[in-house]
Amino acid sequence: MLEVAGLCSFYGRAQILRDIALDCAAGEVLVLLGRNGAGKSTTLKSLIGLVRPQAGSIRFAGAEIAGAEPHRIARLGLGYVPEERRIFTTLTVAENLDIGRQPPRPGIRPWTPARLYEVFPNLGAMPARIGGRMSGGEQQMLAIARTLMGNPRLILLDEPSEGLAPLIVEQMAGAIAALKREGVGVVLAEQNLYFALGLADRAVVIEKGAVVWQGSAAALAHDEATRQRFLAVGAAS
Amino acid sequence: MDALAVSLLTGLADAASLFLVASGLTVIFGVTRVVNFAHGSLYLLGAYIGWSLLTRLPHSPLGFLLGALATIIALAVIGMALEMALLRRVYRVPELFQLLATFGVVLMVQDIAQYFWGAEDLTLPRPPWLRAFVLIGNQRFPRFDLVIIILFPLVFGVLWLLFRRTRWGRLVRAATEDREMVAALGVDQRRLFTSVFALGAGLAGLGGVLALPDASANLQMDLSSVTDAFVVVVVGGLGSLPGAALASLLIGLLQSFGIMLIPRATLALVFVVMAVVLILRPNGLLGRPISGSGGGTPALVRPAPMALRAAGGAALCAALLAPFYLGDYALAIATEMLIAMLFAASLHFMMGPGGMASFGHAAWFGIGAYASAFAAHLLAAPMPLGLALAPLAAGVLAVAFGAFVVRLSGVYLAMLTLAFAEIAWAIAFQWVDLTGGDNGILGVWPAPWAAGPRGFYWLALGVTVGGTLALRHLLATPFGYSLRGARDSRLRAEAIGIPAARIQLAAFTLAGAAAGLAGGLYAYAKGSVFPTYISLGHSVDALLMVLLGGVATMSGPILGALAYTGLYDLLLAATSLWRLVLGAAIIVLVLAFPEGIAGAILRLWTRLRPA
Repeated sequence: MLEVAGLCSFYGRAQILRDIALDCAAGEVLVLLGRNGAGKSTTLKSLIGLVRPQAGSIRFAGAEIAGAEPHRIARLGLGYVPEERRIFTTLTVAENLDIGRQPPRPGIRPWTPARLYEVFPNLGAMPARIGGRMSGGEQQMLAIARTLMGNPRLILLDEPSEGLAPLIVEQMAGAIAALKREGVGVVLAEQNLYFALGLADRAVVIEKGAVVWQGSAAALAHDEATRQRFLAVGAAS
Repeated sequence: MDALAVSLLTGLADAASLFLVASGLTVIFGVTRVVNFAHGSLYLLGAYIGWSLLTRLPHSPLGFLLGALATIIALAVIGMALEMALLRRVYRVPELFQLLATFGVVLMVQDIAQYFWGAEDLTLPRPPWLRAFVLIGNQRFPRFDLVIIILFPLVFGVLWLLFRRTRWGRLVRAATEDREMVAALGVDQRRLFTSVFALGAGLAGLGGVLALPDASANLQMDLSSVTDAFVVVVVGGLGSLPGAALASLLIGLLQSFGIMLIPRATLALVFVVMAVVLILRPNGLLGRPISGSGGGTPALVRPAPMALRAAGGAALCAALLAPFYLGDYALAIATEMLIAMLFAASLHFMMGPGGMASFGHAAWFGIGAYASAFAAHLLAAPMPLGLALAPLAAGVLAVAFGAFVVRLSGVYLAMLTLAFAEIAWAIAFQWVDLTGGDNGILGVWPAPWAAGPRGFYWLALGVTVGGTLALRHLLATPFGYSLRGARDSRLRAEAIGIPAARIQLAAFTLAGAAAGLAGGLYAYAKGSVFPTYISLGHSVDALLMVLLGGVATMSGPILGALAYTGLYDLLLAATSLWRLVLGAAIIVLVLAFPEGIAGAILRLWTRLRPA
């Protein structure tokens, strides 16, 4: 559903991404791994159009979207949940959800606030709460729920587990697994290897803006040498 | 008691008029982050278009209502066209250039209005229902003003519901917080911005048409209304609708009671209020800190390359020899250009490297000019002493006032400088015993050795070149580096031990003193001093010169001053529609050379160089 080839992005004159290639199918979870500053966030921002790629092709749902404006990309059914969550802090939970609303999309069971409150019961308990008065975990759930209101075919998640309590991370993993069952594609940028490999079908490792390893999540879980070299962490468990 | 009630009602009517204009401005700023100087021009067009409609419609309440509605729609359409044709293209440029572009619109609209409606003030015929009064005790109060008062809560309520209860309003509020995220969720920002602009312009149009029965449609109403509206918006907190309502009330009531209590301080009162609010609450009454629109990192100021030094040297030689090949009139113009250069360079010093834009830089120029004039008149001081007092007086006041200024940033900082300039202007204008008011102070003559056009030209050349080079030199010292560090990241600069506020205050003071020096020179060049030296128009001149030339280079303000004064003099002589041409030229320059003239030359230079 998503096919990326030769993607190059710059901040000013500094090249951040070099020839990134990756793909993700419907109902698949692809994890993007890499150290701080490797280019994971920039990759996701280039896909949604917040960073305009200088070269390369991004095909999504049959259309070429490289260089298109973010709102057009989002309307094609590509959802984006930023690392900083970027909740509208002066809007309530229900209002935040309404901002993400898009018309129903063929092949996707339409998301409604009621359905989302089932997936994220915490949100259901506080529809009138102002975004700025929520905990980090609640904000993260709201950020995902808000993007789901657009009925995406594929969702880009930038470090959803960052800074969250273990219990909330559990819930997040449950939500991602539920998306996968719905047939939604998920591209997950993560540093939390344990969280990521538990969810992902396949993994792509990025280093200095280039893809240095790719394969199945299971293979990476057994490949300690690669993990040591590019991710500098010990055994996953 | 009745008089008090009437004052209260008058204040409420003033507050309502303020709110109509300011609400549109604050909504537009909130979403687009554009400092829209042209909002006053929309108000002006509302008044003129309203006049044209209302004089043709039946002079009945129903006719008025229809005319007002048609005006609102007309202005909404004009606002949409303006947004789509111009503002859409400048959202990504630094906010000061947006300001410059909208100021170009102000100039153009002035000439367009004059072309279609003439220079005379236009008043409405006043049928009995418009003249009617209500009696409060034995005091009379215009019935039409009651309508305006009722409109205040009505418009506020409608806007409130619009923002709270509709999806459009939720989108606008979300975009006010984080436009990028709204786009990433699939919302077309451009349509949102256009519709917001249409709403704001429609409100300005309503304000304009409602100004007709009590006043008139005139060519001055654009700047006066936009200044008032900006004060309201800044006092209330940029982008906050309840803030704008609260600030309108505060200022409207203060104005009407202020006239009763201290009639001589009326002009300054509003700006005193703004200064006090900004000092106590740096983001306005109900505002929240705003993230900058991200204009990109300004380029470094580097030592001039050899070629530029050679060109500068040649220009200096040509300038030194100018009295031998220019006539007296041309020399007088050249002297004014030199003074403008020093004035622009002083503003550039705080704006470019200092990162502090000012809407009131003329204050320091004017204070310098008045200091020289007082020295000449009250102390009978010789010219050198008078000239020395100019930067001294401006510098001392700049230190005192700058201590408050450097605590703010961005638009708030610029508005506080405007407040100070307006207070200074009001003092010059209203303290007639000391300053002569509108008549100014005449007879500020230079010393005999500098009395001729040649002598004074050389004096101006020496002072300007010396002052500009001194400012340039300071930028290359550790002080200059600290200043730029404080501009680029105040937090990081402070973390490595740079006292950012003190450094900025020093820069502010130096800029004020240099502007004061320019003002002193100007006083002796003209032989007279007037309140207009401190006017908003003069501050905007300085801003235009710096922005036209380019903020990122040291030669920018010099070229900008040359281009602006040259263009101005040329156009003034060539066409009666000079504002139209100048405004269009400014807009073209902003669109084509967002880095200014000097920046564009630099880019061309670096592109040609390797070839």
